[in-house]
Amino acid sequence: MKSKTVDKLLKNTPQDVKIFVDWCADLLVLINQLLREKQITKKELAEKMDKSPSEVSKWLSGEHNFTLRSLAKLSSELGVKLLEVPKRKENLFKQKQNFQNVALFVKSVKKEPETIIQTQEYYQNLKIDELTTLSNVG
Amino acid sequence: MSIFALEIWYDEASICTFYTVKKITGNSINSFSETDSFFETYTEQDNPFQEQAFQLFHLITESIGNKYGAIDDFFDRTENYAQALPPKPKQRVEEIKNFGINFPLRLFCLRITEKIVVLFNGGIKNAENAQKSDLSGKFFEAQEFAKRILQALYDKTIEISEDERHLKYFDEINNIIL
Repeated sequence: MKSKTVDKLLKNTPQDVKIFVDWCADLLVLINQLLREKQITKKELAEKMDKSPSEVSKWLSGEHNFTLRSLAKLSSELGVKLLEVPKRKENLFKQKQNFQNVALFVKSVKKEPETIIQTQEYYQNLKIDELTTLSNVG
Repeated sequence: MSIFALEIWYDEASICTFYTVKKITGNSINSFSETDSFFETYTEQDNPFQEQAFQLFHLITESIGNKYGAIDDFFDRTENYAQALPPKPKQRVEEIKNFGINFPLRLFCLRITEKIVVLFNGGIKNAENAQKSDLSGKFFEAQEFAKRILQALYDKTIEISEDERHLKYFDEINNIIL
């Protein structure tokens, strides 16, 4: 059961707002949980970080937009990674046969100007980590 | 204060149920609840606080409703104390915590348990005097609503359901009117 207003707002909440609030909430809960587990008061945390207690209180009361820098400092003091960017596997092509016209964006190990080359054949000896496929190449 | 209806605002979240209050004028219940009035006002197109209102809405329905429940981390509680259910009637109107720098909105509420929260109305936090008095008015109204609800829990006019997610009236039939 929900009011009509709730129904309307659930449908209309912008996606970026959802992501922002989810991040804020998760960080707030995690940091407070860590402080409780490690039995560190906000005052002690402030002293370790050379911040005033009021500043740390502000951080942890939700009155603060965390910067990457402040998150890094908190992570360091709490000994836990507060933020992790997921790694993404590259989409690597290994086409040794029936290789069609594929443009490869090749990064030379000698740092020569990058050039786009068209090739009918995939070089067997070409190192995978020197290749970056263009995402918009058909 | 005149009587009011205590109704479900949103109970489709997985952890927490949200109630709200509707004032009763004469013999009829207002069509908009106090919480609907708040969100309808501040999520309106061109309202300068529209984004913040949506943030607050998502915090309530998702972070509190679906993910964590009504835990202390989200409420501006200055002291921790053990609760015996039902809680003794005293002023425990709280605010849902802000996010971001100088969050401009305040929404008052009563946390009954981590699974049941009653939302009231609110307003703009750092406003001019005239509006500030309006926020004070909403706060005092919320206090009165909260007192009545807590008293009703204390004397068992309303009780918490067995699934701990709902409030039920003593006769289990009628709408909750306090």
